Amino acid sequence: MQAALEPFLQAHADEVSWVVVAQLSPFAPPENPGRLYDFYRASNEHQIENEVRSALKYNRNSRLSNKEAGAWMEIFVAYWRAVGFILRAEEARNQGRIEDRQFVDIYDAWKTMTDLIVRHISNGSLPNWTIVCMYVTANHLRRFAIRADEQLAQSKSNVTFSPGFGDDIVSTVARNEKLEEAARVFNKMFALCLGDRNPDMRESRKWGTYYVANLLFKTYFKLKNVSLSKNVVRSIEAQNDLPDFKVYPAAHRTTYKYYVGVLAFLQEDYTKAESCLTDAWNMCLPDSMKNQELILTYLIPCRLITKHNIPTQTLLASYPGLKRIFGPLVSCIKSGDLAGFDAALLAGEDTFVKRRIYLTLERGRDIALRNLLRKTFLAEGFEDLKEGQSELDRIRKTRIPLSHFVVALRLRSSGQALEDDEVECLLANMIYKGLMKGYISREHSMVVLNKKGAFPGTGV
Amino acid sequence: MQAPTASKAAPAKMIWPPELKTYVQRALAEEFQVRGVTTIEVNEQLKKTIGYFAERAMLFELDWDNYPLPQDIIVAERAKLAEQAAANAAFTNNSSSPTSTKRKAHDTVESQSPTKTSTPPWQKTNLADRVTFGNGQKEKRPKQDDATSSKSDLEKRRKRFQLGTSGKTKTTTPPWNTQNGPDSDLSSGPVVGTNQNLEKSYFRLTAPPKAETVRPQPVLERTLDMLRKKWKGEEKNYNYICNQFKSLRQDLTVQHIKNSFTVKVYEMHARIALEKGDLGEYNQCQTQLRVLYMQKLGGHPAEFLAYRILYFVYTCNKADMNDLLAELTNADKNQDAVRHALDVRSALALGNYHKFFRLYLEAPNMGAYLMDMFIVRERLAALANISRAYMSIALRFLTDELGFENDRECCAFLEAHNAQNMIEEKVNDNGTQLRVNFKGAAPHFEALRAAAFSKVDIKGQI
Repeated sequence: MQAALEPFLQAHADEVSWVVVAQLSPFAPPENPGRLYDFYRASNEHQIENEVRSALKYNRNSRLSNKEAGAWMEIFVAYWRAVGFILRAEEARNQGRIEDRQFVDIYDAWKTMTDLIVRHISNGSLPNWTIVCMYVTANHLRRFAIRADEQLAQSKSNVTFSPGFGDDIVSTVARNEKLEEAARVFNKMFALCLGDRNPDMRESRKWGTYYVANLLFKTYFKLKNVSLSKNVVRSIEAQNDLPDFKVYPAAHRTTYKYYVGVLAFLQEDYTKAESCLTDAWNMCLPDSMKNQELILTYLIPCRLITKHNIPTQTLLASYPGLKRIFGPLVSCIKSGDLAGFDAALLAGEDTFVKRRIYLTLERGRDIALRNLLRKTFLAEGFEDLKEGQSELDRIRKTRIPLSHFVVALRLRSSGQALEDDEVECLLANMIYKGLMKGYISREHSMVVLNKKGAFPGTGV
Repeated sequence: MQAPTASKAAPAKMIWPPELKTYVQRALAEEFQVRGVTTIEVNEQLKKTIGYFAERAMLFELDWDNYPLPQDIIVAERAKLAEQAAANAAFTNNSSSPTSTKRKAHDTVESQSPTKTSTPPWQKTNLADRVTFGNGQKEKRPKQDDATSSKSDLEKRRKRFQLGTSGKTKTTTPPWNTQNGPDSDLSSGPVVGTNQNLEKSYFRLTAPPKAETVRPQPVLERTLDMLRKKWKGEEKNYNYICNQFKSLRQDLTVQHIKNSFTVKVYEMHARIALEKGDLGEYNQCQTQLRVLYMQKLGGHPAEFLAYRILYFVYTCNKADMNDLLAELTNADKNQDAVRHALDVRSALALGNYHKFFRLYLEAPNMGAYLMDMFIVRERLAALANISRAYMSIALRFLTDELGFENDRECCAFLEAHNAQNMIEEKVNDNGTQLRVNFKGAAPHFEALRAAAFSKVDIKGQI
């Protein structure tokens, strides 16, 4: 045990947080695949406490204060136990027989350890630079919680009678009880980081704020409790003594901007969403393709609404995943192919719904329709030249029979034949939404378009 | 793994009777483990038992050697629940009163088939426990043939447990048997009702109900019949009906009755609430029905799925709508009612008011009642639209487009929204025609539309 804790003491003395973090990792590093196993085998349930104590407290090399040594001792003992559960589960998996609660046990053990870190940071036993350990450990906790919940979901039905004297027959039991529990731990951490009063910013826990916030976002999204994320954003925005956003690590900032953007997107605040997602997009590292794809998944529908923009084929070409889901939709919007648009939306429905962009993309049909109407308008050609007018004075025909639009829509729509009144209704919609300028005259069965800019923003 | 938990149960400072120590050891010993009962459950029960007697300073008085082991208590408790469930089931089958033969036949068919895919929780533990039950008790009593250990044995055993404790602890009931026991979930176990009244006022429970105030299922079935007849007949007092339904639902809950009859009750209450526009009650029923349908207990899942879609259209809840869309299967989408509701949703999303009002007129089931909740709002939205796209139109066109019954209704609607001055009479070749002139009307309707959408009242949303 003494030997096993040597790297920790060294790293701690140098205050190299990432090495300390590595000493508390639930995974063995690739260059030393046997690390967890060796670490676990170095002790046993009866001796672990004493051994860790002597390695940390009574070791000549150890420069830990008594209080801090005590804290680390508890943490390492908890870690050792958690490693035990992890190894047992690994072994069971290799033999193909995972037991009922194995992942739950890992989660519970890991939570004990996480709780200890939180407690010792908040009571001041551990220096503030160790918040890195705290939030990395927390991130592992999130993963373990998800696995534990999956296991619990398999082993019990999620419908039971309500335990109280309620009036109704059934209550849905928390399907993600472990992740919900983990969320409460993260919340505690969040408060711990956000509310740190240490005036020395180099020593402040406030540096963990955005990382833990991101952790909460991930958890709440997974729990389908997106609205709770809003509280996180609100408390950060209300806290006015945080260090400048710009000086936080780019990784924290990018993820944070991404989530704030997605939140705004889900609340249909597309302007804010666009600006946050664009920020995230600009900060994202050039080779983090996965993250870029995530950002674009929301940025593309967003710009479709705010700017009526569609992504270029060149952009989509670099992201095969996005090209697959957005490609057909985009080309149908461009060509005004309503039937194709409906088919593409239907084909991608499952993916779109899962990513919560379906209802937004659906509105892209307006743009497809606008493009179709614009083509019809262009096909109408120009007014005859009057005397004394030159080619330059030519103006487009702006009085277009309704029937022409009806024909155009029938050509490019699928399903049942469109009624004339329905086409009229869709035209009225275009006018109402400002995608087309003009008015409908029922008496003359004509659409009278604006002579200057019938389709704003499209050059005609 | 067991060593630390055992030591946890007995902190060092207190003095424990040696009998208790051996009791704990026995409880955790390998040979006493019962299949189907986990170590964690045993530990829980152990803590509960010791805590209970420690509070009453009876640790030294109790005859620990003869006190049932925690795993046995758990098994007995489960058996008891199972028995009650069996009793409930028996009630259903016994309802052969001559008056209700027809319904009984209907019910038994449904109640025999429903839970093939999902066993209700109270029946789950049953069989396994009975079979393994002999093993755990080997040392204590003559060995029994597992196969023959039947329900009467179970009954005897249960009685023995009760007697066993009453020897020394006459004044206190053991924690696993009390109705008001401290923090025990078991206290809310099912009641078996004995009340025979058809009517009962709803009263929110704050304590476990007494059997004599609760009506068993056969009585409840007659209650439902009576309520149905009343609602179809003279009784138009919704408060009375709603109150009766709430007490009906409560009686079902406290007896843990969850079968096709339950579904019927909730469906009927939901429909009546819809008819009266009581979205609060409706939503409660809807939430319950959703879970009941998951248990495949029959009923009309498609109809209510369609209502749920329309309900989210009403509340404009995009997040919920998205979740719901994610749940839909292709089979769901092919149901007429669901198809209709989805069409309503997409028509509104695309601003296709023409299609929307057509769909309003042909809503299946009670969908139109739900659509009534947002029809005014959508009419205003359509007017905001039309007033911007047209200079003026014939009133008749508006009547048709907005799904009004006749011109008069349409006029009344416009008047109600301060638009009467827009209606003009125009004389042309075919006589006079009523027209609506939209000059300068767009901002007026836009403001009305915005106001209508800003106040979606979500009653009883859970």
